Amino acid sequence: MTATRTATTSAPAAGSAGQVERVTPRRSGRLSAARKRVLNVVGAVLVVAVLAGLWEGYKALGRAVGDVVPGTRIAFPVATDDLSMPHVWSILGALVEPARRSDPMSLGSYLLGETSVTLREAFYGLVAGSSLGLLLAVLFLHVVPLSKGLMPWLVASQTVPLVAIAPMIVIWGGKAGAPPWVAVTGIAAYLAFFPVTINTLRGLKSPPKVQLEFMRSVGAGRWQVLGWLRIPAALPFVFAGLRLAATASVVGAIVGELSAGTGRGIGRAILTFAYYYSNGPEKLYAAVLVAAAAGIVFVQSLALIERLALRHRHTP
Amino acid sequence: MSEAEIISVRGVTKQFAGGNRTVTALEDIDLSIRRGEFVSLLGPSGCGKSTLLRILADLTEPTSGTVSLNGKTPAAARTDRDYGMVFQQAGLFEWRTVQRNIELPLQVAGVDKRRRRAKAHEMLDLVRLSDFSRHFPWQLSGGMQQRVAIARALSADPEILFMDEPLGALDEMNRERLQGELLRIWSDTRTTVVFVTHSISEAVFLSSRIVVMSARPGRIAASIDVDLPYPRTAATRTTDAFFAKVTEVRTALHGVPAEQATR
Amino acid sequence: MSTTQLARGTSPGVGARAARFLPVVLTALVILGSWQLVVTVFDVPSFIVPAPADISSAFRAEFGTIMSASVVTVQEVLLGLILGAVAGVTVALGLSRFPGVSSPVLTAAVVINCAPIVALAPIFNNWFGVTNPMSKAGVAAVMVFFPVLVNTTRGLLQVSPLHLEIMQSLAAQPRQVALMLRLPNALPYLFNALKLGSTLAVIGVIVTEYFGGPSNALGVYIAYQAALPRFEFAWAGIAVASALGLLLFGATSLLERLLMPWHESLHDGDS
Repeated sequence: MTATRTATTSAPAAGSAGQVERVTPRRSGRLSAARKRVLNVVGAVLVVAVLAGLWEGYKALGRAVGDVVPGTRIAFPVATDDLSMPHVWSILGALVEPARRSDPMSLGSYLLGETSVTLREAFYGLVAGSSLGLLLAVLFLHVVPLSKGLMPWLVASQTVPLVAIAPMIVIWGGKAGAPPWVAVTGIAAYLAFFPVTINTLRGLKSPPKVQLEFMRSVGAGRWQVLGWLRIPAALPFVFAGLRLAATASVVGAIVGELSAGTGRGIGRAILTFAYYYSNGPEKLYAAVLVAAAAGIVFVQSLALIERLALRHRHTP
Repeated sequence: MSEAEIISVRGVTKQFAGGNRTVTALEDIDLSIRRGEFVSLLGPSGCGKSTLLRILADLTEPTSGTVSLNGKTPAAARTDRDYGMVFQQAGLFEWRTVQRNIELPLQVAGVDKRRRRAKAHEMLDLVRLSDFSRHFPWQLSGGMQQRVAIARALSADPEILFMDEPLGALDEMNRERLQGELLRIWSDTRTTVVFVTHSISEAVFLSSRIVVMSARPGRIAASIDVDLPYPRTAATRTTDAFFAKVTEVRTALHGVPAEQATR
Repeated sequence: MSTTQLARGTSPGVGARAARFLPVVLTALVILGSWQLVVTVFDVPSFIVPAPADISSAFRAEFGTIMSASVVTVQEVLLGLILGAVAGVTVALGLSRFPGVSSPVLTAAVVINCAPIVALAPIFNNWFGVTNPMSKAGVAAVMVFFPVLVNTTRGLLQVSPLHLEIMQSLAAQPRQVALMLRLPNALPYLFNALKLGSTLAVIGVIVTEYFGGPSNALGVYIAYQAALPRFEFAWAGIAVASALGLLLFGATSLLERLLMPWHESLHDGDS
């Protein structure tokens, strides 16, 4: 441990009245927490609806004034014709229409198929990257010189556009004769690995001195300290890292698919629809929407696992 | 209301609604404090001493009863900045230097910069921290932070100083030193002090009068005048009169069924 | 929300500082040296990885091109960072006036932030035109917007109850509470988001440039050189992009330390 954690002056300081007021039975507290969560979800859906409303409102305004601020010659930043900003309903409508003229398959199910390819790549990448990240964190914890030399570089790497290397990984995969999805998975793994390592190491180092000294006082060995103290203490940190890694792996998979130039996946689909944009702009929007939704579902399902795994922890 | 009375509490009751039952924190409190007094509210946890102080400071409202400060309602006294307040944590703004922390009440009151600065220097002298005016709070020890908090509370020249266990977070050595400081500041400024504490010796050493409270519901059990002569010094703590007073207060405190403080 | 924490404000003696940086520098030297050695000894083909010396000579050979490409990219990054930060802070200021609404909005923002925002790149390319810097800055701005919004709103709302009570005891007006308490309280939160955002903006711009961009931009340069294939040059571009990310992060940290001299208190206690 390089430094001890010090309390900041802004530590929660409930007034003594708080002590008196805190007589609410625990069950009602948990109930209201659940209700709050439901309210948040409903609110979040409302926020999305408001965003859709803003989209349509901006479009209607632009149509009404001809994309120019009235009385001036200042043009709207984004044109509002159907080519630039299709109606929300035509984007959603495009999902149920056939993807191609010759093919009865709807755009929605075509996109879902492509998305499942991408999510599979992201998932494999996440598993591979985070396993490596976890192992490396434990290694760093026990081999101090290694962590002293490498850790600053790992931390610095977080400020660097790691994804810039994607085209190179695709080339490696291509020269090795592997199918494109392998390279894409590799990129996803490579992006997932960093946040897991850093957060896990931070978590492994998080137990306060008292707990470490207690474990020493009862004669616990290094692996017992690891298994019974450090790893349980690290779990919330690990999950925080995993959530970041999940987002990164989806981004990695999509960017990888772009760089790969061939193969399947939602990234390819987006690129294709971007190419044929003038033929059906709403198809591109639909594809982007599906990609966004897929990323959200992917990360949120991990968050759900996190909530289940940590349900007995007290979260302040 | 007598001429010397500065704080008057009449029939104050405070109840908290908690789920399906209500908790009575204070029941039918009557209290009168004269100008220039140093009054300690002493009692075990849950006796409502802090709640009473917060009612005086208009940080919470009584369920029933009336309070008057300087002949005004607490709300009016607060808006007129008739009182200064010190909490258990110093609560300094970590983005302000010591000096600018002390200036805060004056700034809120709209005092111009030059007078603010002059007043802050005066206050820094009072708490003997003139060398630290440009330091940030994190650079000070806990005891020094609390002295800044006292200077901040006094910077707008309030007639009343409310202190809610201000020395509770300090170690014994610092605490005794600051008790001495506090008495000196009190005698310099002649402010009326209402001081919440759960330490008997602290209350005896500081106060001119101790209001002993009992818990569940919070009531005033006794009001004990402390006639030890000022200025009190470290030597005061070893006198027989001091011990006798501590014993008297302890008896008053334990004469009522009270749960011992947990800390 | 950020896992990044690079520069720390503790200022120990020169000796202590040297002791801390020595292993870092040594590791870098060892890695670079063995990389060069392995490539030379085993004659590793350049498509796997070119030797550091080759990359550096490629960089020197096309210094002018790479630098002018970097200037274009940096402009896009800064534009995106500023747009996203201004928008995020503005919405946060509005949102903090309505604490009841803020919680669902923040939930929505956190959830939306899980989406691969880079997928917006072709849309922005179509809106503003592939060669228009706004098409790159727009994606970067969206990526920066969400963390800034979430962090700033939290900073404005998560004020210490004790501080609020002190302001209440001073009979402060709501405007005074906002100016003297909420804004300074939000600054560290904002800067954490900006540090993360500076990284995100670089990523957003480079990836959007992979989708197509002006021929003299860094992302386009990297993708083009990789396709040619002239791998030393692609790697030189990647190295410069990395340096940009690091530089921007450092600049934001520096700004943070200048604007928040009290911030040193928040620096210790980090692993």
